[in-house]
Amino acid sequence: MSMLAFELERPRDLASAVESLGRHGSRAMLKAGGTDVIVWMHKHAVQPEVLVDLSEVPELGGISFYPHRGIKIGAMATVNQVGTHEDARVHYGALVDACLSHSDPLIRNKATVVGNVCAAVPSGDLIPAFSVYEAVMHVYGPGGERDIAFADFITGPRKNSLAPGEIVVSATLPMPSGRSAACYIKLGRRNALDLAQVGVACLAMQGSKGAEYRLAYGAVSPRPVRAAEAEDILAGSESPDEALLDRAAKAAAAAVNPITDVRAGREYRLSMVEELTRRAVSICAERLTGRESR
Amino acid sequence: MKRDVNFILNGRPVTLSVEPRTTLLRALREYGVTSVKRGCEEGECGTCTLVIDDLAQKSCMVLALEVEGKSVLTVEGLVAPNGDLHPLQQAFVEEGAIQCGFCTPGMIMTAYAFLRKNPDPTEAEVREALAGNLCRCTGYIPIFRAVMKAAKTMRELGSHPGAAR
Repeated sequence: MSMLAFELERPRDLASAVESLGRHGSRAMLKAGGTDVIVWMHKHAVQPEVLVDLSEVPELGGISFYPHRGIKIGAMATVNQVGTHEDARVHYGALVDACLSHSDPLIRNKATVVGNVCAAVPSGDLIPAFSVYEAVMHVYGPGGERDIAFADFITGPRKNSLAPGEIVVSATLPMPSGRSAACYIKLGRRNALDLAQVGVACLAMQGSKGAEYRLAYGAVSPRPVRAAEAEDILAGSESPDEALLDRAAKAAAAAVNPITDVRAGREYRLSMVEELTRRAVSICAERLTGRESR
Repeated sequence: MKRDVNFILNGRPVTLSVEPRTTLLRALREYGVTSVKRGCEEGECGTCTLVIDDLAQKSCMVLALEVEGKSVLTVEGLVAPNGDLHPLQQAFVEEGAIQCGFCTPGMIMTAYAFLRKNPDPTEAEVREALAGNLCRCTGYIPIFRAVMKAAKTMRELGSHPGAAR
């Protein structure tokens, strides 16, 4: 199928992009990498009259890292740029794992990290990582600048809390406090070009009261979900034993609410949430107590 | 409404007149560059892969108007002016890495961009690099062999012969 006709605007700065979006209102859609929106336009699932292409807006590029503040990812930073970024590799293990599990090496040259999050598809690989690092979305729009906590950003499948005319400029993932270790485990049927059946991100941090854990899940609920009870069960334990892992895994399964679809059944997903929670927590605990910090 | 897009195609400046909805894949095929294959047209199969400013991209995911001012390389641009094949192309022929040929240009362009960044890869790295290109004939093994062979040839030659850029 061909895409339906549309007008393409390619603003050269952020103010023009916001102006363009404001002028066209709901007739317009934003495009960053385009690897999601172009597929949807091919299928006629979305039919914008105007596509506002952000790829020439200089304010949206780049990745910067400051140890006291964290990593700031520009809206146009590609999945490969983030996945191979030196500081991300050292300090943001779950983010890098998620990037390298996304689609395939070619699509990752085009797809953006922020775009994956804004698209708000429940299986979006970057979403659990943004959850565990408690990202902050930096937004610019007709009302000026504002920050949105990631916990408030995704409101449902393909829905985010941006107001009309607003654009995500960048996102900051604060630096985990103290020593930390993190990973993202994606369950799919093949290694490349697959959507997650279940995705689990785990971040373990060495705090003053011992180890602290954050757990977030993809593809098993309409909105991103943190397993708060499982996190509490694990808190303080540097090397959780089987019994503790089992309790945490059960609590994690109780926190999610998966559907049955073409990729997996609800029961299977629940069972995999348990298993992958055990694995992710074990990996992070081992790395935290070992010498490796990721 | 059609608009002009100006870019470098295989070392030569071109201007194409395209609609905003025209993908780079369709624009190039219309222009006569038929090495970029229209497979799935949803970013899955990799048969439309080409290189834009040193990065391998699936051209069905790129709007033609997006390559304004950029350099686009397709497999046609790998052939030397005297007609000699690029070492990657030669290795694909010699190793039997081609059966129906539909995936071949995309495979070669992915491998080309990959070897520029990683001229001395392990086979595992080659497999990972080609994960976005599907082949339904060869079972991939001859393709991996061809890329490893071409990498060796190119290291010995110390350059990318025949390349337009």
